[in-house]
Amino acid sequence: MHANQPAFFKQGPKPLTRLMIFSALSLALLVSDAKLHLMDALRQQLSVVIYPLQWLATTPVDKALQVGDFFQKQTELISENRRLNEERLKVSAQAMRVAALEQENAQLRALSAAAASQPVKRQLVKILYNGRDPYTARLIVDRGSDADIAAGQIVVDHQGVAGQVIRVHPLTSEVRLISDRDHLVPVMVERNQLRTIVYGMGRNLPLEVRYMPPNVDIKEGDILSTSGVDGIYPAGLPVARIVKVERQNGSAFARIYAEPLAHFEQHSYLLAINGAPAQAPYPETASAPAATNKKKH
Amino acid sequence: MPISSQLLRPVSFGFILLTFLLAMLFNLAPWQAALQGLTPDFIALMLVYWALHQPKRIGVGWAFSLGLLMDVADGNYLGQHALAYSVIACLTLIRQRQFAIFPFWQQALITLFLLLLAQCIMLLVRLLFGDSFPGLGYFAGAPIAAILWTPLSNLMLMHQRKPVADDL
Repeated sequence: MHANQPAFFKQGPKPLTRLMIFSALSLALLVSDAKLHLMDALRQQLSVVIYPLQWLATTPVDKALQVGDFFQKQTELISENRRLNEERLKVSAQAMRVAALEQENAQLRALSAAAASQPVKRQLVKILYNGRDPYTARLIVDRGSDADIAAGQIVVDHQGVAGQVIRVHPLTSEVRLISDRDHLVPVMVERNQLRTIVYGMGRNLPLEVRYMPPNVDIKEGDILSTSGVDGIYPAGLPVARIVKVERQNGSAFARIYAEPLAHFEQHSYLLAINGAPAQAPYPETASAPAATNKKKH
Repeated sequence: MPISSQLLRPVSFGFILLTFLLAMLFNLAPWQAALQGLTPDFIALMLVYWALHQPKRIGVGWAFSLGLLMDVADGNYLGQHALAYSVIACLTLIRQRQFAIFPFWQQALITLFLLLLAQCIMLLVRLLFGDSFPGLGYFAGAPIAAILWTPLSNLMLMHQRKPVADDL
C-alpha cells in the first residue's frame, strides 16, 4: 500500500510530530546552554555563519555617515584642528610630567622589589550593535578571538568603565555593561576613599550603591572609581557619579543612585584592556601556630 | 482576497531565502535597540507567511534553525527563539488550510496571536531562568507586525501575480 503511494502524498512526519522533536531539542539546548554551559562550541560556529549578516546590517549606515562626514564644512574642520593642536600641546606637557612620574615610580618599584605589573594591552573595538535582548544590557563588538580578545577583559571609553567581555566568538564578542542587572563593581569614593560596591539595576536604569548606613559620607556629585578589590577591574578607573542620595527615617540603609560615566551611546569605539593582574592567593591557614598544632596531631 | 481569482506563479526557492535574509538584516539593524522593542520580529513574521503559503517547503525545521541563528545573534540562551518559532510554525501548519482562505485582516489577527504567543514563550523561558519582566513595551512589536501583514502580503504576492504570457 505504502509502496504504491504517489510521491505527491508523501509529506514526512506530521507538523505535530516535528514540533515534538524540535521542541524537545530546543529544551535540551536551553538547559545545556543556560545551566550546564556546554554549547559554547556550537555558538561559536553559528556566530561565524551570521557574521556576514551582522557586517551587512551595520556597514551601509556607517558608510553613509562617513560620506556625510566627508562633506562637512571646511571651517568646522579648521577650527577643530586648531582646538586639537592646543589640546595636544597641553597634553604633551602633561605627558612629560607623567613620564617623569613613571620613571620615579619604576625606581621606587625596583627599590621595594614589588612584583612588576603586567604591561597593559589595549585594543580598539567598535560597537556593532546593542544587544536586542530586552532582559540584559549587552553590546556586540567587532573583535573576537582572532584579535586576541579574551573573556574577562575590561571595556572602557574615554570617560569611564563600560563593562566586561563575557563571551568571545571568533570574529565578534559580547560585552556585559555595568548597568546590567545584578552586575557588581567594587568601587571607592574618590573624595574619601570609602570602599563599597555599585550594583547594576538593568538597561537604561541608574546604578545603585546598596547596604550603606543612612549617615554614610557620600554626597551628590561624588565620583566612584574602581577599587581593584575583586581582581577583575583594575584599580583607579572612573565608573560612576552619584546623582541622588535618599536618607529616609525608618529605613536601615540609604538609597544611593549613580549614573555611569561611560557614554558609549554617543560614539562607537571602545577600548578593551586587560583585567587586573593576578592577585596573591587567599591565605588558607588561619595562622602559623594553628598550622603547626595540626601537624603535631 | 487570499484565494485569488488568478493563478499564482510558483515561488522560487531563492526568493524565499532572499526574504529570510532581508528579515534577518532588519532584525540585526543597529537601530533595533534604540527603538526599544517597537520593531516587529521580521523573522517570525516571514515564518508565519511562508508556512502559510508554502507549507511543503517551510516548516518546523526551518523555524528551529532560524531560531538558533537569532539566539546566537542576540546572545541569549540557545534554544529560546528556536522553541518559540517551532511552536508558531507548527500551529500555522496544523490550521494552514483554514488559515489560507481567510481574508487578510483575519490573517493579521491570527498573526498577532501567534507573535504574542512566541513572545510569551520566550518570556516564560527567561522568567524560568531567573530574569525579570522587561515591561509591557516588550509586546509592542506584535501589533505593529499585524498592521504590516496586509501590505506585506500584497507586496510578496505581487511577485507571484506577474502575468506569464498571453499566448497559452
